[in-house]
Amino acid sequence: MIFLDHDSLAFRFPEVHEAANFTIQFQRTLRIPDDGRDYPLPPGLGAFPLRHLDDYAKRLPESWRERGGVVAPMHQSEALWIKFSSQYPFAVKVGTGMICAITGDHWVRPLNCDPQDYMVLPKQPWLDGYCVEKGSIRQFIAMPLGKGYTVEEQLTGAAVHGGLQLVAYPMKVERYEALRTKQDKLKRLPAYGILQSVPPDMGLAPGGRMKQDIYDDSHGLDAWDQRNSSRCFVSLLNSAQWMAVTGEPPPTEPPTAQTYSAHGMPWFDYYGGDLQAIAGSEKLNGLVSVSQHALARGEALLPNNESVTSQPVITLGKPCRVRECTDDLA
Amino acid sequence: MTHFGPTIREIREQLREGDRRYSVRQVAQRVGIEPAYLSKIERGEVAPPSEATTVRLARELGEDADVMLALAGKISADLQAIIRKRPRLFADLIRQLKEAPDEAVLRVVREVRDGNW
Repeated sequence: MIFLDHDSLAFRFPEVHEAANFTIQFQRTLRIPDDGRDYPLPPGLGAFPLRHLDDYAKRLPESWRERGGVVAPMHQSEALWIKFSSQYPFAVKVGTGMICAITGDHWVRPLNCDPQDYMVLPKQPWLDGYCVEKGSIRQFIAMPLGKGYTVEEQLTGAAVHGGLQLVAYPMKVERYEALRTKQDKLKRLPAYGILQSVPPDMGLAPGGRMKQDIYDDSHGLDAWDQRNSSRCFVSLLNSAQWMAVTGEPPPTEPPTAQTYSAHGMPWFDYYGGDLQAIAGSEKLNGLVSVSQHALARGEALLPNNESVTSQPVITLGKPCRVRECTDDLA
Repeated sequence: MTHFGPTIREIREQLREGDRRYSVRQVAQRVGIEPAYLSKIERGEVAPPSEATTVRLARELGEDADVMLALAGKISADLQAIIRKRPRLFADLIRQLKEAPDEAVLRVVREVRDGNW
């Protein structure tokens, strides 16, 4: 079951184990420059609001109502990253526009291990974008559907789904108990009105590059309880329509990477110790980024795309995974 | 005396083992309070701070704000507002569920509806 808890999606599997729960939060962040350089991880600037889509169904298109799930506001060309908080092990798949963000393959519900199309919690604390190479991702950037920027449009030629798709599978309880026993022996468990004027549908497109590992599944495919799963469609509503649909003001636009950097605010890196990263997806690596797409079409580049000096860089690792920035600048 | 202060200290010290930014001074700075005040809070020498400060501390330490508020003997303003808006309904609901196991409580929580996609 999934419910909303303070702008987080809370996944719970009480039928599997009382500890089988985790949360997903979509963090606002600055858009890193799309200049070919590999940047460190940008900060979290607070959670995007999440609302039950059913609460605003009368003001949203019929196709949105069919999906169910939740709705979140994003400004055009705004970036996000996904924060996972878990102690129980889970396998989680993330799609954008029904394309897997790890492999670039069409979205399917079951887990696949060759190539691995899911992440393993709790060792994967965050996902910031599309896995394009081992140790490198391209940032998730919100762009309107229908202009060719999104991963969905680049890979399928169609602008149908948009949004984000999630499915989670808990570890089989017997594997969890065995793992816990093993870890106990090691003395320590790791802290683990229908809008017609402007099309409101948003999808995610590949932006600038940053350093991030997607860790391999050391448990093996058999560890996951694929009889039990929960999934959710996250529709992305252009912030310009958020007030009209929900009656609430959308979050303000985040600071630019240039402003953030000029104030000497920190960037982040994650030290995963001896965890192994998976290879990136050739399909995703072959896509054009938002800037490359704009250049090819002779369109204006996104503003504030100048390179920045990403210093200082703070390296985080277990048990410390707090990447949110509470400074006023945020 | 509540367990609020010692719990805050325990969590902060645990975080500081992996990241020096979790010293009393730096955490206090990010939360917007004086380091001496945070020290007193942690030692239980003063009452738990205001709701806003407690929520900022919880966020800073990666903890659940409602749990931290409960430890501080408080209930968040938004929950109070929800109850005040429909007091009979929510008071009744909470009393009905007070001894129910977690799984039973979760059954009355509104689930995110999954559709066709």
